[in-house]
Amino acid sequence: MNYCRFLPAALVLLLVPPSIPPRAVADEIPQEQADFFESRVRPLLASECFACHGEKRQENGLRLDSREAILRGGDSGVPAAAAGEPNSLILRAVRHQNDLEMPPEKKLNEAQISDLAKWIELGLPWPSDSTPVSDEQRYDQIRANHWSLQPVVRPPLPAVPDPSWVATPIDMMIAANLASQGLSPSPQADSRTLLRRLTFDLLGLPPSWDDVQAFEEAARENPQDAYRRLVDRLLASPAYGERWGRHWLDVVRYADTKGYAFGKERRYPYAYTYRDYVIAALNADLPYDEFVRQQIAADRYLQDDQQALAGLGLLTVGRKFSNRHLDIDDQIDVVTRGFLGLTVACARCHDHKYDAIPTDDYYSLYGIFASSHEPADLPLIGVPTDRTQYQQFQEQLARHRQNYDAFRNSKYTEIIEVARSRVTEYLVRVVSNEPEELLQKLPFISLSPDELRPPIVNRWRDYLARRAKPDDRVFGLWHDLLNLPEDSFAAAAAERLAGAANESHHPLVLAALTEPPLAAKTDVAQRYGNLLSQTYMLWKEKGANDAARATLTGDQQELLAVLLDGDSPTSVSRDQLDGLLNRADRNKQSQLQKQIDSVQVNHPGAPPRAMIVREDENPHNPRVFLRGNHARPGKAVPRQFLYVIAGQDRQPYETGGRLELANAITDPGNPLTRRVIVNRLWMHHFGQPLVDTPSDFGVRCPPPQQQAVLDYLAWRLLDCEWSLKQVQREIVLSSTYRQASVDRPDCRERDPENRLYWKMNRRRLEFEVLRDSVLAVADQLNQAMGGRPIDLLGKPEIRRRSVYALIDRQDLPNLLRVFDFPSPDQSQDRRPETTVPQQSLFLMNSPFLQLRSQSLLERIRDVGVDRERIGQLYRLVLQRLPSDAELEVGLGFVENYKEADPWLAYAQLLLMTNEFAYVD
Amino acid sequence: MGLLGLAGVLADDASAADNPLLPKSPHFPAKAKHVIHLFMNGGPSHVDTFDPKPELTRLSGKPLPTSNLRTERKTGAALGSPFQFQKYGESGIEVSEIFKHTAAHIDDIAVIRSMHADVPNHEPSLMLMNCGESRLVRPSMGSWVTYGLGTENQNLPGFIAMCPGGYPITETQNWQAAFLPGIYQGTHIDTQHTDVQKLLANIRNSKLTPTAQRKQLDALQELNQLHLRQRGEDPALETRIQNFELAYRMQAEAADAFDVSREPKHVLDAYGPGTQARQILIARRLIERGVRFVQVFHGAGQPWDNHDDLEKNHRRLAGQCDRAIAALMTDLKKSGLFEETLILWGGEFGRTPTVELPQAGANQGKVNGRDHNHWGFSVWLAGGGVRGGQAYGATDEFGFQAVENPVHVHDLHATILHLLGFDHTKLTYRYAGRDFRLTDVHGKVIEQIV
Repeated sequence: MNYCRFLPAALVLLLVPPSIPPRAVADEIPQEQADFFESRVRPLLASECFACHGEKRQENGLRLDSREAILRGGDSGVPAAAAGEPNSLILRAVRHQNDLEMPPEKKLNEAQISDLAKWIELGLPWPSDSTPVSDEQRYDQIRANHWSLQPVVRPPLPAVPDPSWVATPIDMMIAANLASQGLSPSPQADSRTLLRRLTFDLLGLPPSWDDVQAFEEAARENPQDAYRRLVDRLLASPAYGERWGRHWLDVVRYADTKGYAFGKERRYPYAYTYRDYVIAALNADLPYDEFVRQQIAADRYLQDDQQALAGLGLLTVGRKFSNRHLDIDDQIDVVTRGFLGLTVACARCHDHKYDAIPTDDYYSLYGIFASSHEPADLPLIGVPTDRTQYQQFQEQLARHRQNYDAFRNSKYTEIIEVARSRVTEYLVRVVSNEPEELLQKLPFISLSPDELRPPIVNRWRDYLARRAKPDDRVFGLWHDLLNLPEDSFAAAAAERLAGAANESHHPLVLAALTEPPLAAKTDVAQRYGNLLSQTYMLWKEKGANDAARATLTGDQQELLAVLLDGDSPTSVSRDQLDGLLNRADRNKQSQLQKQIDSVQVNHPGAPPRAMIVREDENPHNPRVFLRGNHARPGKAVPRQFLYVIAGQDRQPYETGGRLELANAITDPGNPLTRRVIVNRLWMHHFGQPLVDTPSDFGVRCPPPQQQAVLDYLAWRLLDCEWSLKQVQREIVLSSTYRQASVDRPDCRERDPENRLYWKMNRRRLEFEVLRDSVLAVADQLNQAMGGRPIDLLGKPEIRRRSVYALIDRQDLPNLLRVFDFPSPDQSQDRRPETTVPQQSLFLMNSPFLQLRSQSLLERIRDVGVDRERIGQLYRLVLQRLPSDAELEVGLGFVENYKEADPWLAYAQLLLMTNEFAYVD
Repeated sequence: MGLLGLAGVLADDASAADNPLLPKSPHFPAKAKHVIHLFMNGGPSHVDTFDPKPELTRLSGKPLPTSNLRTERKTGAALGSPFQFQKYGESGIEVSEIFKHTAAHIDDIAVIRSMHADVPNHEPSLMLMNCGESRLVRPSMGSWVTYGLGTENQNLPGFIAMCPGGYPITETQNWQAAFLPGIYQGTHIDTQHTDVQKLLANIRNSKLTPTAQRKQLDALQELNQLHLRQRGEDPALETRIQNFELAYRMQAEAADAFDVSREPKHVLDAYGPGTQARQILIARRLIERGVRFVQVFHGAGQPWDNHDDLEKNHRRLAGQCDRAIAALMTDLKKSGLFEETLILWGGEFGRTPTVELPQAGANQGKVNGRDHNHWGFSVWLAGGGVRGGQAYGATDEFGFQAVENPVHVHDLHATILHLLGFDHTKLTYRYAGRDFRLTDVHGKVIEQIV
């Protein structure tokens, strides 16, 4: 019936008259077969199998409660039974053939087994009434019905009771909803409040007193125009990118470190280029579809656009797990939750429990990301302005690289030299099964276990297995002697060697083995080894070159070849060096590598580079990993997009597929990408999202109360060519946004969570904004943009904006965590808002606040009169004048405060007020 | 202030509406209300502490008849324990001489001798023991417990992780909150310091006396009240006002909690000298003040990781904490807190019964230490409703592998959550479309212990 999908619905109706039942086959089951199934087989399956392979549980992905499920099989893709197949998996399992024994606790009796066998022989007759819905049908139902997967259309604009209130289409939908509940919007906030709200919202900084004055004056003349111009001015400020960039960095789990990295450089040298990319892209109002595409696949179509390449940091700044599968899982998670609002990573071990995302689709995406790698040579995306520093950096880097290479060269030479000159010790280990500590006691053993390179022992084993054959001139006797019995070895060896005198053996080997008599098999190894190493030393004495080799006898040359030529166990190629290093060598090598990495992290002359990925020459053809276990590969799946979005039309990707994936995500026909991003924008403007789970728009996410607003904005995003700033502009120009944050008990009672937007929400400043604001009102904020991350708590204190803080995901400062800074290990859709004493302690006691209070006082040092000093502080900190009551509190405080500097304490307490920390 | 003060603290703070740390009830009534996790990081040797192996002693110096299991590094012949074991208490459970003081409480201790983990490496095993997952970033046990139960004293952090001299391996990940709200993350205390200002960030004002600060806060709250009155009802604003009061009290209370010099001399003597003794005493003081979960790491890095000189080092390390652990249990019993305080003692894994072979870069080549062993090791539980005086499960006759009633780390977590009143399958947090739990899809409560 699948072909029907490609036909127009009307045609399908013509072709399939409703009178024909869809499951004609089932109805043809003869009655006696149906009875047999119902009386013997179904009860058996139900009592013995369904507990683990039924509706509730599907061990190994297998269900046995429908004919379709049995034919489909479990994770392995092998049918549990096939019609008429006597060797069906289920029969092997119940007969305990092979490894599989089912049911696990007990074996079925013979009668039960033969019933099953008979049923399979009959062709698995299963009456139709009880067939559950297939996965594919369920997926199509979800695709057809779930709200977030439906096309984005511009919602009709409803009539509103008070058209004068409407500033943008958003207001019509909000007002209509409010009216339908008998509620009304709140009045517009006053000018100062609006200015503060907008400035914090768009820039993450407070306005100045002068800004308030100017705006109030302009608003008196032409309020609409003044407000519009304000919005445009703020959207054009570079601080906008810093503010909204930080929101985005939460979503993409940005950090400057790799995670736990024992003995290695922990910091990413260039993560900051991704952070700066985000800030610059938002400031430039890069169309959102392009923003998405660049972050997933800039290398595929913008190879020469250095700035765009830095966007690929999205894929590379996550935690490094020292496990490729987990690194890819992290990429799948950040891309699918971040852009699509789908929790695809849930389908890594089993089909998604709720959404239309089979495990197959997870591995289709896996194949896409597994087809790229992080190259060692990251592209330069800028040139340092200071040539001298750049040169110094290059010199230092070259020196560290030289040290690294020199170490590896010397290790390589040393390992080969030891393997050749002390070959005896290797051969003894080949023949002996004694534990190492006993071997160490043998007089001729001098290599300690860590000087011995196990891969070379293995190479000798392989070599001798190939070469030590009875007719080999050099190793024929090795073969014969080592195959002698252990208990009477000495006598048997003497006998064998006596006979060997007349055979064509290598004369030097025969001589070495004959005298003195052999006592044990280790003696054989010792004689061979000594002979080989002596020959090697002789060659070295003569110059260790071709000429030296020519001076040796033919017999000697034959022995030398064992050590030097072709497939010799001691001729290891340089690219196999890593396997030969012992722990101490690896430690040393890591140390040298760390020096290379650290100079890139630390040196002021290190130029910025983009943390790109690059597509492999041969794309990865993914297989499903059963239960997420990469040691259990299952069926092959193509690299392709998600069924839940693309449906039947999807095509496998021939290339690695990242660009195709990026295009599919940003396709205007994909309804999720736009809905997800406008919901994020709304959340940061109103302090609450329209959709409560901003990174999960799956079937467990109900349609939002304000779906019309969401869909309007999603429609609008495409309408304005993916301009985020245009959408934001429309949001903040709305009357909805401009409402006062007043408490109206009647409305609060009807809609306590303000889902209908009868007022603006009061919002608390996030940690970054709070810190930046303290610096700003104290006139201490360094507004320099971009560059390497700074240690927020380091000394000397650096007064840059908080978005430039070093985010060490392995050791995130507790200060950030207690202020709800989200974990940078997974994509974060929203920050929790907690209120805990550690936050207050920071404001009460930290040196940061003490110093800023002091600098705040500096700003009023020329003001003499107490009353005016207080007024001036209010203007600086809160951008308004104090009320009489507030003035009284202030005057009373500074007069009566004898314990310490009253002005310092007063300036600090203004920075601690709720008014400073909240935006109305 | 001890227990009496708690009621007052609780009543005071009930007004703090959106405080995520307020005490919460678990799924079912339970005895254990607090946890002290004595973390012997680095991996203490079970055959030298709580799992005597006479067969191993008999074979010392000879290869084991069974082949050595694969661990991180190569090991050789059997290495009998250099320590004497002796029966203690009515239960007659044998304990090594290096924990002889702790052993005096053996009738209240359930030793689990059949622990096993996944891999013989520190990093994943620390993560598994602390967060229930070796590789992915998941919340720590302390975070889960604090999320589930809140904490009883709002003037102190609910989850405190003490480690003198810095961090254990994998650092702050050991007490991470991961996707849980950040406030459930453990607060790290570097107990090498004694000055409370160095123990807790911003806990004291370096310029203002408490009286001066009180006056400052009074003026602040006057302004905040004016601000609030203009705005009508707003629980968030009220909570933040309240929060300054909490913070003010926390300063005094934290200083008090961490200042062991306020203990009488006989108590200090009972715990003994040194940092271990001090931090274990602090643990007691924190529990008395209602802190939910206290983790006590032995030291920065991995002190119990004795690849060399095991005898000397294990004797020294045990000597640093044995008396204090015993004194802690004695004190908790005296105050009645033992029954509601669950103590977990153990490392991230145990050590091999066989000697570690010399290897440059791995050990000092002394051939007198043991490698990591995740196949079998011991931990013990006490207090908090644990049935003491029993040794649960067993390793093989040499102590290499758990063979009788094996207990995976997930099972230990399930058991601990059970003792705290949780069905471990139901203590969940929805994140990224899934309901996560400490035990993932695993875990079985050890019925014989609870």
